[in-house]
Amino acid sequence: MVDIVPLSSYPSNIHLLPSVQTCNITNLPENYFLKYYLYHALTWPQLSFVAIVRGNKPEKYPKVVGYVLAKMEEEPTDGIQHGHITSLSVMRTHRRLGIAERLMRLSQRAMAEVFNASYVSLHVRQSNVAALRLYRDTLGFEVEKVESKYYADGEDAYAMKMDLTAMQIKDVPEADGEDADEGGEVGSMGKKGDDGKGGKENKEGKEKMIKVKVGRGLGVGDLVERNESTKS
Amino acid sequence: MLCLKAAEQVLRKNPNHADTQAMKALIISNQGQQKEAFALAKTALNNNMKSHVCWHVYGLLYRAEKNFDESIKAYKFALRLDPESAPIQRDLAHLQIQMRDFQGYIQSRRNMLQQKPGFRQNWTALAVAHHLAGNLEDAENVLTTYEDTLKQKPTRADMEHWEAILYKNYIIAESGDYEKALEHLDAVGKKSPDVLGVMEMRADYLLKLGRKADAADAYAALLDRNPDDSAYYDKLISAKGFAEGDEAAMKEIYEIWSTKFPRSDVPRRRPLDFLSGDAFRDAADSYLQRMLRKGVPSTFANIKHLYLDRSKLEIIQELVERYLKEDVQPQMNGSAESSSEDEASRFHCSALYFLAQHHNFHMSRDLSKALKYIDEALQIDQKSVDFHQTKARTLKYFGAIPEAMEIVEKARSLDERDRAINTKCAKYQLRNDQNEKALDTMSKFTRNETAGGPLGDLHDMQCIWYLTEDGQSYLRQRRLGLALKRLHAAFNVFDIWQEDQFDFHNFSLRKGMIRAYIDMLRWEDRLRDHPFYTKVAVSAVSAYILLHDSPDLVHGPIPNGVNGVGQDAQANAAERKKAVKKAKKEQQKLEKVEADKKEALRTSKSAPKATDGEVQKDDPDPFGKALVETKEPLQDAMKFLTPLLDLNPESIKAQCVGFEVYIRRRKYLLALKCLLALHAIDPQNPTLHVQSYNLSKILNNDPNRASSKLAQIISTEGKTLLPEDNKLVEWNNNFLNHHRSSTSHIQAGLRVRALIGKEAKATNEKDLLEALLLDTTSMEEASDGLELLNEWGSPKEVKERYRSSAAERWSRASIFQAKQIEIQ
Repeated sequence: MVDIVPLSSYPSNIHLLPSVQTCNITNLPENYFLKYYLYHALTWPQLSFVAIVRGNKPEKYPKVVGYVLAKMEEEPTDGIQHGHITSLSVMRTHRRLGIAERLMRLSQRAMAEVFNASYVSLHVRQSNVAALRLYRDTLGFEVEKVESKYYADGEDAYAMKMDLTAMQIKDVPEADGEDADEGGEVGSMGKKGDDGKGGKENKEGKEKMIKVKVGRGLGVGDLVERNESTKS
Repeated sequence: MLCLKAAEQVLRKNPNHADTQAMKALIISNQGQQKEAFALAKTALNNNMKSHVCWHVYGLLYRAEKNFDESIKAYKFALRLDPESAPIQRDLAHLQIQMRDFQGYIQSRRNMLQQKPGFRQNWTALAVAHHLAGNLEDAENVLTTYEDTLKQKPTRADMEHWEAILYKNYIIAESGDYEKALEHLDAVGKKSPDVLGVMEMRADYLLKLGRKADAADAYAALLDRNPDDSAYYDKLISAKGFAEGDEAAMKEIYEIWSTKFPRSDVPRRRPLDFLSGDAFRDAADSYLQRMLRKGVPSTFANIKHLYLDRSKLEIIQELVERYLKEDVQPQMNGSAESSSEDEASRFHCSALYFLAQHHNFHMSRDLSKALKYIDEALQIDQKSVDFHQTKARTLKYFGAIPEAMEIVEKARSLDERDRAINTKCAKYQLRNDQNEKALDTMSKFTRNETAGGPLGDLHDMQCIWYLTEDGQSYLRQRRLGLALKRLHAAFNVFDIWQEDQFDFHNFSLRKGMIRAYIDMLRWEDRLRDHPFYTKVAVSAVSAYILLHDSPDLVHGPIPNGVNGVGQDAQANAAERKKAVKKAKKEQQKLEKVEADKKEALRTSKSAPKATDGEVQKDDPDPFGKALVETKEPLQDAMKFLTPLLDLNPESIKAQCVGFEVYIRRRKYLLALKCLLALHAIDPQNPTLHVQSYNLSKILNNDPNRASSKLAQIISTEGKTLLPEDNKLVEWNNNFLNHHRSSTSHIQAGLRVRALIGKEAKATNEKDLLEALLLDTTSMEEASDGLELLNEWGSPKEVKERYRSSAAERWSRASIFQAKQIEIQ
């Protein structure tokens, strides 16, 4: 039996990261350093989930049979807050149990609730029929465009997206301050801070962050379980 | 580059300008010239001991070398000279938390807060410092102090704020005061954007506080969001307080969510865990039919855990066998879209596949049946990757390793774009010690244009499983250089993972996701308790033990048993010489091939370039010669062994290899410690018996035994385990009598009997052969027996008799085939 739990939110399952990485490199061509997983887990802890098999006696390291690794787009070109699926995979041994669907739905809901995402985007290989079926038919994604030669091996990707506005939380009364979304400087002491230096620090940080992210030139690939039917 | 030129210009005019020298040292260190950088930094310091720049750079150089202790010292000097320097303070703080110097970190964070109290992250950071140091109250107070300064209510989009609020709640809960935590959460949680997190925390507190009705509601709400976590059901049911064994009440709970979420598996599958008797039979029947009619290939993987209950195993087998024989009418909820004939055929095929997996499984193993079912399934669908893979597994259990590999290669060829089957294929090739073939298979999905080729990519991508399996394969082949090479590479991956946290000390405070950061730090502290590490470490330590015992292996793979001892010592010595010579020659051949390959690559136009801008160096030692040529293999083993025993003491294998290292290093107390630990985990372990003998023998042979304090301690502590000197034979016979039906125990007893040396060797050999014939003997045990004969240096005829007897019984197993043995 497969349970689905958060990766790094409450309760934390961050110790499963090495197994998540192994699940990825076992199934998918797009692979990442562990640091890239950490970067997701520590920036958007609510968005990633893991599928595990606990077995008969609960162990600290249950078997990881699937995961969704997700993020928020940091500098959306369209200016709209939205989420992005970095990677999704389910082990061959545990396909067709509906795990990928459940992982996706949990992640999507968190994107809308926690980060107010208006939509979620992803890329999928054109040849990946099973994944396409999941995204389009089961979940309701739409193909936005074709990205030519998106993958390292030259294959094209469908860029897909799905609206999440229905899941956004709108009925919470906003706080009265309008200019209060400037992060670190909300407090009354904010003004005392050395602004110039603070700004610089942030800028440096951004560069560093990119370093974490790039890891390796190879694509921010998104794929999903394939080959649903063994019979053609 | 510009910086370097500028620095050099200054130095031309003023050659001893210390700060400029230091800056130059930093620049050339970034260019990879560590040695020169250190020399220059030292000169700079000599020129001006009072320069904080020089000390800061000195610290940075140590940091680059990962000598964190020295780095911290240098930063502290720098800070003493310039107490107001923010960059030095920051660098120091990050190293302190990396090194878990909590008190130092508190001090640093306090300074940083005083310097810039306007930044929330400085307050949060001080709270983190207190929290990690265990001062929960201080941590909470710091957070509250900052909150009190807030004049405006933060918006919902202010993630840093809301996370800091939940972080405070997390600290309160950690103090054990769930009442207070719940109260706080109820006051602040509603507006938190982390909806699921708040629900989880709240439910957890309610249950811990025994507020059962509320807890039940809270878990029901969680299930409405995610019906696929069995832990939620467990907690809900525990909160409901049903009578022990009230299956009907529990079943009702699951029905709520299987109705709400018809596509969810857990609420359907879970009741099979607790139902029994006819209720189980009915539920299993409907579950299995539903899954098999849909043709869900993971059905078996999803129910095999039920087999712990023998009666469930039997019922399931019976049910699925019936599906094959009878024309089972589809249930009403069967899908109407596909034609019934299609469905019937799919159902039949799924049932065959299920039974094949069922008979592969260790608790219900019957390999001939498994083979029969999977072959039938394959007749229906010859192109099924899954069916081929299952057949390969059957063959693997038969011991037919090369055939298993061939079938899985076939499976791979049926879907070349699926990495999962490609991975499986490489794994089977490694299990068959076809290392080059496996790498070739892996290369179909790796990035091969980088300098190291496919193998380089697997290192870069931290492909732990491959490095481990490749290393273990070389260990099996007794090619220790390569084995150590891979296992060290896997070890280094863990070092990288540990180092990875460094950037987050800064990053996470900026992002404000503090709970996740704290969880990450705590995970990093126990990083190497992961089973991946255990595998790597046990294998590496075993390789070093082998190297210590058979130093000839430094030259290459010399078969076990050719060690210059045994019944015909002279002939064996000659044989040994021959084997060493052969191994050396082969090693040279391999090196030449590798060198030629490199040369060809260099001269060819398509020489790979590093794409990431990193400097990719050629591996000067692709065979791990430097590792295997060590003078102190047991000392080197400690690098793997220490974290293994510290973090995974409950592993039987860890304790076994730990003992073997310590006894060889004459660290008898530590050896005893392993022995006692092993005894606590598994008092009947066969290896424990052999090791107890070995330790006691060493003690008994110690001439200073009576006066030796150490010997006294060991005798006292090991009293329950270690046999008395004059009762060795009796002790061992007791063991043999006690375990007459377990081959591995008999082997342990015989091993000890041979060591005691009172019984004729032929008798030991005869008894070993008798143990082989026991019904319960496993293929692995049979193979261990063969190893034991090698160790004893038994004559060829004896080995041959043993081998042919094993080959008769495990007729498909490759290890017992004459061809394989001949080499030895």
